[in-house]
Amino acid sequence: MKHITNTIFLCLMLTSAWAQNPAPGLPQQKAIALMGGTIHTGTGQVIPNGYITFDKGVITGVGDASTVRMNTNEVQVIDVAGRHVYPGLISPASLVGLQEVASVRATIDSREVGVLNPNVRALIAYDSDSEIIPTIRNNGILITQAMPVGGTVSGSSSIMHTDGWNWQDAVLRKDDGIWLNWPGYYARDFDFDTFQSTVKKNDKRDEAIRAVQLVFAEAKAYAEGATLAAANLKFEAMRGLFTGKQNLYVRADYAKDIIEAVRFAKAAGVPKVVIVGAEDSDKVAAFLKENNVPVILSPLHRLPNREDEPVDLPYRLPGILQKAGVTVGLSYAEEWWRTRNLPFLAGTAVGFGVTDREEALKMVTANTAKILGIDGQVGTLETGKQATIVVSKGDILDMRTNVIEQAFIQGRQVNLDDKHKRLYNKFKTKYGQK
Amino acid sequence: MKKQLITGLLLSWAMLTGWAPQTLAQTTFPRNGVYDERPNLYAFTNATIVVDPRTTLQNATLLIRNGRIEAVGNAVSVPAGAVVINLQGKRIYPGLIDLDSDYGMPDLPKRAPGGFNAPPQLESNKKGPYYWNQAIQPETDAGQLFKVVNAKAEELRKLGFGAVLTHAHDGIARGNGTLVTLADDRENTVVLRNGLSQHFSFSKGSSTQNNPNSIMGVVAVLRQAFYDADWYKKTGPGEQANLSLDALSRAAGLPAFFEAGDKFGVLRADRIGDEFGRQFIIRGGGDEYQRIDEIKATGATLILPVSYPQAYDVEDAWDADNVSLAEMKHWEMAPANPAMLAQAGIPFALTSAGLKTRADFMANVRKAIENGLTEAQALEALTTRPAQLIRADDLLGSLAVGKLANFIVTSGNLFAADNVIYENWIRGKQYILANRGIADLRGTYDLNITPQAGAAALKLLITGTNPDKPDYQIMANDTTKLTPKVAIDNNLVSMQVALDKKQPNALTRLTGYRNGSTLQGDGQLASGQVVAWSATLSKPFVSTAATAKTDTAKKTPMGGLLYPFVGMGNAKKPQPQAMLIRNATVWTNEKDGILTTSDVLVTNGKIAQVGKNLTAPTGASVIDGTGKHLTNGIIDEHSHIALFSINEGSQSSTAEVRMADAINPDDVNIYRQLAGGVTSSQLLHGSANAIGGQSALVKLKWGEPADGLLIKGADGFIKFALGENVKQANWGEANRVRFPQTRMGVEQVYMDHFIRAKEYAKAWAEYTAKSEEQRGKSKGKSTTAGTLVAPRRDLELDALAEILNKKRFITCHSYVQSEINMLMHVADSLGFKVNTFTHILEGYKVADKMAKHGVGGSTFSDWWAYKMEVKDAIPYNAALMAREGVTVSINSDDAEMARRLNQEAAKTVEYGGISEEDAWKMVTLNPAKLLHLDSHMGSIRPGKDADLVLWNNHPLSIYARPDYTIIDGAIYYSQTSDEQNRTAMQAERARLIQKMIQAKAGGQTTTRPTARRQRMWHCEDIEGVMAEGENK
Repeated sequence: MKHITNTIFLCLMLTSAWAQNPAPGLPQQKAIALMGGTIHTGTGQVIPNGYITFDKGVITGVGDASTVRMNTNEVQVIDVAGRHVYPGLISPASLVGLQEVASVRATIDSREVGVLNPNVRALIAYDSDSEIIPTIRNNGILITQAMPVGGTVSGSSSIMHTDGWNWQDAVLRKDDGIWLNWPGYYARDFDFDTFQSTVKKNDKRDEAIRAVQLVFAEAKAYAEGATLAAANLKFEAMRGLFTGKQNLYVRADYAKDIIEAVRFAKAAGVPKVVIVGAEDSDKVAAFLKENNVPVILSPLHRLPNREDEPVDLPYRLPGILQKAGVTVGLSYAEEWWRTRNLPFLAGTAVGFGVTDREEALKMVTANTAKILGIDGQVGTLETGKQATIVVSKGDILDMRTNVIEQAFIQGRQVNLDDKHKRLYNKFKTKYGQK
Repeated sequence: MKKQLITGLLLSWAMLTGWAPQTLAQTTFPRNGVYDERPNLYAFTNATIVVDPRTTLQNATLLIRNGRIEAVGNAVSVPAGAVVINLQGKRIYPGLIDLDSDYGMPDLPKRAPGGFNAPPQLESNKKGPYYWNQAIQPETDAGQLFKVVNAKAEELRKLGFGAVLTHAHDGIARGNGTLVTLADDRENTVVLRNGLSQHFSFSKGSSTQNNPNSIMGVVAVLRQAFYDADWYKKTGPGEQANLSLDALSRAAGLPAFFEAGDKFGVLRADRIGDEFGRQFIIRGGGDEYQRIDEIKATGATLILPVSYPQAYDVEDAWDADNVSLAEMKHWEMAPANPAMLAQAGIPFALTSAGLKTRADFMANVRKAIENGLTEAQALEALTTRPAQLIRADDLLGSLAVGKLANFIVTSGNLFAADNVIYENWIRGKQYILANRGIADLRGTYDLNITPQAGAAALKLLITGTNPDKPDYQIMANDTTKLTPKVAIDNNLVSMQVALDKKQPNALTRLTGYRNGSTLQGDGQLASGQVVAWSATLSKPFVSTAATAKTDTAKKTPMGGLLYPFVGMGNAKKPQPQAMLIRNATVWTNEKDGILTTSDVLVTNGKIAQVGKNLTAPTGASVIDGTGKHLTNGIIDEHSHIALFSINEGSQSSTAEVRMADAINPDDVNIYRQLAGGVTSSQLLHGSANAIGGQSALVKLKWGEPADGLLIKGADGFIKFALGENVKQANWGEANRVRFPQTRMGVEQVYMDHFIRAKEYAKAWAEYTAKSEEQRGKSKGKSTTAGTLVAPRRDLELDALAEILNKKRFITCHSYVQSEINMLMHVADSLGFKVNTFTHILEGYKVADKMAKHGVGGSTFSDWWAYKMEVKDAIPYNAALMAREGVTVSINSDDAEMARRLNQEAAKTVEYGGISEEDAWKMVTLNPAKLLHLDSHMGSIRPGKDADLVLWNNHPLSIYARPDYTIIDGAIYYSQTSDEQNRTAMQAERARLIQKMIQAKAGGQTTTRPTARRQRMWHCEDIEGVMAEGENK
């Protein structure tokens, strides 16, 4: 018993030893003007010598710096000449905050047991003290979508800031959508004898789809007035799907699955559907455009799915979809600790066919905001939007110049310290390095 | 009733065996009943006799007595007392021989699926004085295991086989083989020769022992066993009795068969043979045509299957994408494998093993013939060659005097589609497969029924490829087709047919007999009216089989080979060429730094000149580098691409395994890396154990075989590993057995192994220092008959001794500072150096100590948080180490990230402010230094290897991609060639898809497309132990 107590005590000690994330930023006290930087508004516009002003957490003006003069008594002017100013990047379909160390089960809170769990809510488990969080905002990511995984209907996601005292404090939009793992046309089969995996036709697919159809039909009927003696938690969680208040996020990669998933959503009376993953979506780009369905792509930094596929197909996918008129958001999906590389996915997309840097920037800002239904608040640098802004030493999409110097979330200045910088400084000191 | 049944059974048994008595006297056995010894003298006359693949006699006689051939020829006089069998119009062939058989062997014990939940089995569980490894079973004696199983023998007899070499298909060393006939007799007469061959494979079979669990582990175990057998022979059982080594050493001179599985296996098996001066006879997999030059160079004789893949269902355009071009092409080309090998002059025998349905054997041999194999070559591969290979050509293989009377009687050409094998004689005993006595009734007959039933003129058509089972049809007025039901049994004929198509149930029933070429009798119409009938031959049958051969000519042409044989392969291997790259920004990695608007001249695979305004020699191609950046090719210090397996994690030390034995030169990831500017990689063993296997240093020469990828003259490297993987921290509850389970134990593994390696090295040094004469006068325990014996060669200690002797260098997987310190301490105390720490995510905490030890660090740019031991990993690690004087490289450990190593290097600019030039060196010059390749690689300087990449942008930029990737002066990737290859691939896919759809429409069975997903290996992946998708 004593042994156990000691262990627990030790764990607590360790936890407290790590939990040294800096305090969240304080509410904006005074109007701020960022002057002289190159402003990338996220709408495609670039203002070379620009200004941006914000007060009480809201953007009050964006424009050419040479045409304005600031009253330094009323406005705190920050010179960002030579710097680049962007909307805070948005990381959708993410496990950041829900998982900490992959090999330690105790730190994983993303996958609930069961098949149909629309009622489990990712924001509940979002750990605003996760040590991953400061490292991703250090590369410009100020908004993350906490998503549940697992089962067929995984649960409900929420949009979170990467700064905040707790999940209630950090949330930007609660329960923005329900997550559905579409029963695949192909299923992966793994043979432990040969240790080879094959992709085979999924024989259980029809059955699984029927089950999903039934749940959605019943949930819709419930939402439209069926009365139960006691509230059905699962159906309650799905109400918003049928009014367009919530997105239906469907994970599907194979072209046939994408078509079926979209058709299913339509038939089920779900107005807003987002395809997540969409690795084969180059084949159905026209279909997606026709049906006005946006996609959140799997990390582009992956290998082609098939031996004969063009070696750079994953890199080229955003460009192909963009040219077809499909709204594209980029994600780092389940690879939470690599999420800080999200801006570089956009950079890669520029190298492989997206029209230009501003279009690629949209795929981690404006497009994503639109897809997630938060474009009224964030995603672009426009008057009236929230002051969620990053200032980078240079091009934010390139590793060499993505050095985040300042960040504001709803006007609150974010402390950009993180564990990595602290350890860096500690050992620089040890070695007397500058 | 019961009595009747038994009599019936006896009778049918007697009929099956042709009333023949025991063919051969079995004097040692008591007999129940009276003796029935017969002369067993048969003369087969008037036959076409195929004596051997080169000799065919017309109108000849074969005389056999007591199971042996007594005479064969045109002028054989038939002695009195011989049973004469007239084979007018028939042919006789030598009985066929199959060398890869498990006929009569016991079924393999099923291996219980171990995997995750079973604790490891570290030692052999075969009790007795045998080898330490359960998969080495050279003591297995096929002769002792063999049992006659008539049902299986019959299956083979039907195909024309008379004898097989059978062995137990179990284990890496499988023991000896036994040559048996396919007679249904007592084993004493069926076994012809026992122990005339030895057998090996790459499969551990039923062994439940963990080691080996990788292909390189299998090779190591077998090599060690061969060395041990040699040692055992010299030292005798003084030190230990070992029946396995005894058997292995005594079998050394016998023909040795190696089941290699596929083209890679054939080359791998031959390499093992070369080391021990053995030439294996190698059982291939049917894809050898894809590496025909290399396979020819082995000099090996092959045993080839005739199993071919089925066509795929490719009607659905999207589903068809899951079938790779390689699979499609193999479907088309596999039947041509024997012909292509024969044309290349590679000798082989054919086997019926590997067929899903053994009855398809002859049809598939025919497909090989349609694809260009000559009939003589096919026959040779089934008769004389197999007999020679097992040195049994005094018994089998041809119809020469004195050989066994193993032969088959056929209706015609053995390989023709309509051929019928009537009889298979084995050791003079007849097995009837089809009734030779039945006349060939095929032809067109006028059918008359009187009184006439209706007004129609009737014709009976008897057709088909097999005269034994012909097809019947009745034509009314040459227009209406009727299908009668006909039974002809010996002389009796019975036929039912509905003469009026509108009344299918109104059957006319005709019964009668055969009278020469006429059929006749009487019967009843549907009404019950009695009629007489006859069918008179009006036109004899013309075989269509003759046209089977002309199918060859009609065949659509095949696609060409690819190097390697996958979709992204090239039609021709890239060749070095002289080239001048002009006006590029050149990153020299030398003192000159980055040169603007400069030229680089490449000749003979080397960098010839670097400068401005160079002139291109005649014949050199010129590449415009304006606005582009020319750099060295990227060198990935830590890679697991192009490998069939990664971890031989079955023991704490597996220093004996070599990744070179596991190279897969056809892995498309090679090409994908080229597209990312990578030109060389260190293919490392995984991190499952403290001392892993020996690295393979390769250049990514896409299209070359495994041997062609290896960097010649490179130093030897070896993988070590520390931390969670080694102590199996994340392997589940079952894995709590293997030492070590803590970092304390890991240290002791090193201490123990290096102390043993020191002793080993010392023993060898003492031995080699002595002259032959001194060895002869030695005394002590290492002597045999007063001669000092060489120490036992130990492949594991060899590798460790090489480390001590600075001939092999360590790349050690490492994470936390305590263990990094530990290994440097162990190394210092035992007098060796650690060359490189890889991963080294806490290297920044001990960078000063690393610099002092002189060890390099090869790290990830920004990986962390995937397990406990990386919780303190920081992206500033590379910068901190580099500034302390450690040679730092950035590596991938990941097939995907490897193709963006330029981006990963660029992160050191973001994290820690490394200069761009130094950042670039972290993926080029620095890994070259860590791999001891910098004398000829890693920078752009005259004389160095022309491993170059021309980038369309600043190489550290996120927007950069290679326009050209060049290795040793040959262009292995370019954007233009990539596009051309894609177009060519699409066209080839389209052609094959059409062909498959036609094949399906033509009635071929097809299979659903299933995509084989390629594994992306990381250093923690362990075959059979860890699930896919585990994190690093």
